[in-house]
Amino acid sequence: MSQKKYWKSFGELKQTAAFQQDAKDEFKEDLPFETADTGLLSGNTPRRDFLKYLGFSTTAAAIAASCEIPVKKAIPLVNRPEEYIPGVAKYYATTWSQDGDAVSIIAKVRDGRPIKIEGNTDSPITKGGTSARVQASVLDLYDMYRLRYPAIAGKEVTFEAIDKEIAGEMAKLGAKPIVILSSTINSPSSLAAIRQFQEKYIGTRHIVYDADSKSGMLMANEATFGKRALPGYRFDNAKAIISLGADFLGTWVSPIEFAAQYAKGRKIDAKHPSMSRHIQFESVLSMTGSNADERFLHAPSETGAVALALYNAVNGNSNNGLDKKLAEGIAKAAKELKEHAGAALVVCGSNDTNIQIIVNAINASVGAYGSTIDWSVTNNSRVGIDVDMANLISEMKSGTIGGLFVVDANPAYTWYDTKAFSDAVKNVGFSVSFSSKADETQQLCKYSLPTNHFLESWGDAEPVSGHYSLLQPTIFPLFKTRQWQDSLMKWSGSTTDYLGYLKQYWSGILGGEAAWDNALQAGVIHPSVASIVSGSTFNNTALSGAMSAIGASKKSGKIEIQLYQKIAMGVGQGASNPWLQEMPDPVTRATWDNYAIVSPAMAKSLLDIDLADSGQSDAYEVNPEKKVIEIKANGVSKKLPVVIIPGTHSNTIGIALGYGRTPKIGKTAEGSGEDVFPFTNMSGQTISYATVGEASVVDNETYIVAMVQTHGSYDTPQGKRVEVMKELTLGQFTKDPNEIIEEREHELKPWGGIENFETQGTIYGSYDKPGIQWGMSVDLNSCIGCGACVVACNAENNISVVGKNEVKRFHDMHWMRIDRYFSGDMENPDVVFQPMMCQHCDNAPCENVCPVAATNHSSEGLNQMTYNRCIGTRYCANNCPYKVRRFNWADYSGADSFPANQQAQVASGELNAVVGVMNDDLTRMVLNPDVTVRSRGVIEKCSFCVQRLQEGKLNAKKASRPLEDGDIKVACQQSCPTNAIVFGNSNSKKSAVSVDREDNKQRVFYSLEPVHTLPNVNYLAKVRHKETGAEAAEAHHG
Amino acid sequence: MHLKYESQIREPLVYGDKDYHQVTEDICRPIEAKPSKLWYVGFYISVALLLFGIFSIYKEVTYGVGQWNLNKTVGWGWDITNFVWWVGIGHAGTLISAILLLFRQGWRTGVNRAAEAMTIFAVMCAGQFPIWHMGRVWMAFFVMPYPNSRGPLWVNFNSPLLWDVFAISTYFTVSLLFWYSGLLPDFATVRDRAKTKLRKKLYGIAAFGWSGSTKHWQRHESLSLVLAGLSTPLVLSVHTIVSFDFATSVIPGWHTTIFPPYFVAGAIFSGFAMVQSLMVILRKVYGLHDYITLGHIEKMNKVIVLTGSIVGIAYLTELFMGWYSQNKYEGYTFWYSRANLFSPYGWSYWGMMACNVISPQIFWFRKMRRSLTVTFFMSVLVNVGMWFERFVIIVTSLYRDYLPSSWSVYYSPTKYEIGFYLGTFGLFFTCFFLFSKYFPVIAIAEIKHVLKTTGESYKGKMSDVDNSTPEDFAHQYAHH
Repeated sequence: MSQKKYWKSFGELKQTAAFQQDAKDEFKEDLPFETADTGLLSGNTPRRDFLKYLGFSTTAAAIAASCEIPVKKAIPLVNRPEEYIPGVAKYYATTWSQDGDAVSIIAKVRDGRPIKIEGNTDSPITKGGTSARVQASVLDLYDMYRLRYPAIAGKEVTFEAIDKEIAGEMAKLGAKPIVILSSTINSPSSLAAIRQFQEKYIGTRHIVYDADSKSGMLMANEATFGKRALPGYRFDNAKAIISLGADFLGTWVSPIEFAAQYAKGRKIDAKHPSMSRHIQFESVLSMTGSNADERFLHAPSETGAVALALYNAVNGNSNNGLDKKLAEGIAKAAKELKEHAGAALVVCGSNDTNIQIIVNAINASVGAYGSTIDWSVTNNSRVGIDVDMANLISEMKSGTIGGLFVVDANPAYTWYDTKAFSDAVKNVGFSVSFSSKADETQQLCKYSLPTNHFLESWGDAEPVSGHYSLLQPTIFPLFKTRQWQDSLMKWSGSTTDYLGYLKQYWSGILGGEAAWDNALQAGVIHPSVASIVSGSTFNNTALSGAMSAIGASKKSGKIEIQLYQKIAMGVGQGASNPWLQEMPDPVTRATWDNYAIVSPAMAKSLLDIDLADSGQSDAYEVNPEKKVIEIKANGVSKKLPVVIIPGTHSNTIGIALGYGRTPKIGKTAEGSGEDVFPFTNMSGQTISYATVGEASVVDNETYIVAMVQTHGSYDTPQGKRVEVMKELTLGQFTKDPNEIIEEREHELKPWGGIENFETQGTIYGSYDKPGIQWGMSVDLNSCIGCGACVVACNAENNISVVGKNEVKRFHDMHWMRIDRYFSGDMENPDVVFQPMMCQHCDNAPCENVCPVAATNHSSEGLNQMTYNRCIGTRYCANNCPYKVRRFNWADYSGADSFPANQQAQVASGELNAVVGVMNDDLTRMVLNPDVTVRSRGVIEKCSFCVQRLQEGKLNAKKASRPLEDGDIKVACQQSCPTNAIVFGNSNSKKSAVSVDREDNKQRVFYSLEPVHTLPNVNYLAKVRHKETGAEAAEAHHG
Repeated sequence: MHLKYESQIREPLVYGDKDYHQVTEDICRPIEAKPSKLWYVGFYISVALLLFGIFSIYKEVTYGVGQWNLNKTVGWGWDITNFVWWVGIGHAGTLISAILLLFRQGWRTGVNRAAEAMTIFAVMCAGQFPIWHMGRVWMAFFVMPYPNSRGPLWVNFNSPLLWDVFAISTYFTVSLLFWYSGLLPDFATVRDRAKTKLRKKLYGIAAFGWSGSTKHWQRHESLSLVLAGLSTPLVLSVHTIVSFDFATSVIPGWHTTIFPPYFVAGAIFSGFAMVQSLMVILRKVYGLHDYITLGHIEKMNKVIVLTGSIVGIAYLTELFMGWYSQNKYEGYTFWYSRANLFSPYGWSYWGMMACNVISPQIFWFRKMRRSLTVTFFMSVLVNVGMWFERFVIIVTSLYRDYLPSSWSVYYSPTKYEIGFYLGTFGLFFTCFFLFSKYFPVIAIAEIKHVLKTTGESYKGKMSDVDNSTPEDFAHQYAHH
């Protein structure tokens, strides 16, 4: 083959300069674009150029515009993972665990996200009950303000780096010990991890500090039973329950368990007209006190005297020095206790060892041990001893502590002298925080290793000895966090991680990995045979010392301050949770703040507000601006708004703990209340939650407390509104079980009585109700007002959090609320709770007034709300006699198409930051995909969890079987610790709701029945075990 | 025989010995002259208010009804109060034009034009409230029953709010037609007097080619009668239906069968008061003393004292029933939330009583009826009172209804709620100022009609007619 060259032109052959230029240029002529400076639209521009430009610019614009399409964050799965169906929820048994409290739960996981928590019905302790805090805990998982990475002095580092640093610190320790400071840990495996660490680092101490301290009880039990532990309580066995300031249904020891037991003794029907009798002695009206049959008031400083007097009365000794009412109460309580010896129980909320010794002595005298108090088990929810903490601080201060590991505890906020603690931390060699939030203590610590949220964690818990509950993660950790147990095990040189250890530990106990898997699936491990309640020998050597110590304490003449915990807030754990902040307190019905609770008597003397005067009480109610007082005690002064609550001791101010948290834990907590832990104090060996002080009105200062209910009585000058609420005493009920029926007959007499009311109460025709008719029955005797249902409803139905500014303006969005009414004596009233949600009226006033038929009736008796048909006239809300309809006054959910309209809420300041927090992409992961998020301008209300009804029906249909009673549980019903709510098909005779109505027909009533709304929700009247004169005889012998 | 009967007691309807030309001159003067400084001041203030109203609505639509202080218990407040108030005001015009026309009340001619204009503007203002009070106003068209592609969705004919939609739109349409058909001959007059091309063209268009032919007049008269016949039931029905918004509900204080007549009387009461306020100003500013006479003022004051007393009886009846029914919910609303001066909203109830029932009794005295100062002052007072009435009905019923747990905190408006209300004043007066500048504020043709019997110069001329025989008369009018 020759290298022969072919050419087409001479230019190519010769490779002339002109040819090379031509070959380089693609086009022979210059591109005409340069001529464009004459203007495209000028006559000189060629038509084709114009079209070129047009084509180019159109294409460019189209391409550029398409680039602006937001990136879709949802990516469909190419290969579906096994056992995963998008849109179908999975349920995992795990455990809510916080500061010693542990509740067995089932987490509902939708598309990889835990979105709802239900109680685990397999747990013999909580029996499927939950609390508001348990319900709300799922929101903490998606808290924007969780710590997202390990840090040294606030700077992000890797785990490897921080492990190395800490290893270095520990190597430098010398003789100085490490202290692991935690709140109560009742997880056997976690304690084992600590022990393992202690073996490696000899001298390491584990100090338990509980902000909600039960030291007094623990030490009293040690003194009288030789056990530094809390026993099991059996309120269900008690016929007489005397509580000396113990909020055992709300915040004391194991409230979910106790609520279920308590409710058992309160269930009543005409066949068995008996119930336990509950007498409460306290200073500030608590939720538990609200449920009591009788309450007696005393100053906090009199707690000891009351306990002593009760002891004396029970043992037939005389009493003096107490005021008349209180003395009567003591006599009454003593009589009850003696009458029901062997079925009597005294509990006390005081943290004073001596008082608790006396309480133990009373319990011993009335045979509580072995019947209502069970020493065959221990309750492990609190083991902290206050004096250990005090000693630790002085040791830290003296510089003898080498390292401080803080697990869960937050003494920089909860210790009475936070300055002493924070100063002491400076003298510790190094400090490590495992907190998942930038809480007060975390900020003091050099090293921060945020632990997982419990829904991301492995673990176990032993809330009651012998009863275990397991934790398993329901989601991969969202952030760079590590369980603190893993950290400890790693540092102690363990070869396995915490999960490995846990699995090995439980497989060993249970007998194999399969058993472990089963246990994990069930979530709980409990003895196959329920333990027999047994007592223990009471050792009375400490008694006389305690009695004389109490006798020596004097009643103070000054104003006394009683600190208490709110059911939602605890000792501040709930502060960064929007659902809990916005949950109205059961007693005060206030949200977002703490405040000074005073009695009407003190309101009169201190603030010059006389609630007996209707003008003044109206003014107090309708004006949300409350007067502010300055309270001085323990050398600290705090300004707080005043809320007047009947049933408060006349010389006592009640203030809730847990507020005034650092804004570092999130914008939710910012500006919410005042920290009153400085008012606690070390009294002898224990922390006291009461003190004496002074209070004075701050002139010209008011503060708006965000309350959801302003009026507390259903008694009006025109008569008692008994159509709203019906309550009676046990005496009345035994004497005439049909009293409620007769009252209803009387109310409905003009329209043919109960029998014919449905048809004769209207000029319109009535309709058949074939098929399913959903109905609900709420037993007011079982409802304790705890508000678990309120938060459960929030979580299930994507209810917006509106923030303090909006609650102030009466714009709260709760679909379910618990109305609280006072009756009787203003200084010491009876209290009743009434859960109020849409009544799903069959003749609903809301339905016929909507101009566009956005709300209508289903064939199953549901009052339905069609959000995207609603135009927002609010006529339905006006016409609802129950006022359960809620309007979206602003863009609370971010579902609005108007841009940036969540700011500028000029009418009352801006929308609080919490609305933004709730609309953050992370927080929104908690939303239930089955429920529409409502936009601004529409009405919403309880739907009877229609999404659950549809799912239940669908599942039954898929299984080709009829829907069975119990297939469907609505969210409020499921969360209730006392089973006060029964739900089902009321057309079926066998359904639980029909049976409940039939069995309790003497107590059934419908709220506002004469209005002829024909509700599908009924209530069972509240019965109080209160006796007056002749009724007492009736009640006992009837 | 005498064709006319001149009452010895009744005063003339037009003073000043006017002839036809003078009437035309007097009434057309404001239209043809440059507006006074006062007019400009008033107009600009009105426009400013209107703009503030638009801004207030803009805020509410953009950020939500939360811009107002309504709450979960009080779902309606200033919005619906103002709606009912304006609708009430919009009653006098049609009553004056329609019912008085049917009753052959000659005195209506002096005031009907302005009163009808007022009606139309008031209904325009009223309509704003139910529209903008909606949470999703952009979906407001859902209330229209028209065939649509949204499946089986249809309006709810059971809802009084829907009845409102029909009642008010019908009323507005009929009132507008009535008013406009009356304007045709007058527009033609203005057109014929126009000196510029533009005026001629615009008024020409507005006059619909009115030529003043007998056929036109005849049709005009028939149309007036037909429209009067149509409007008469509307005067009664509109406020009856507005009252149904409340009467058909279940809320104590709303659920009351007395509402329809009580609301209608109240509407006429407030409407006449508003007419009085405007007339007193109008006759002063435009010097129309001869056309809007003290006789007119006095007659309307008589209507005011009558209707005021009717609402007074209604109030007392409500109180009586609140006690007599022994219904504790109603009893509470009427006797505590309202009649108790020391309850939170007691002041509004007694403000209403003082303005609507007690103070109008002053009109039993002739001297007071004929006093312009007293009339003006009272007319304002009555409208304040009627505003209170609606506020009392809406807010005091809602804020403490059935469940004491839901009793509300004190409701007071935000600046945007007030702004919306002021904005409707802006709308009303902007319209009214434009009307008084560009439209004949008194019906020229109708005034001329009554001149024959009441104008001094025409009474003499009419004596020829008086003296003529019936045959002559029949002959003459047969060709008319």
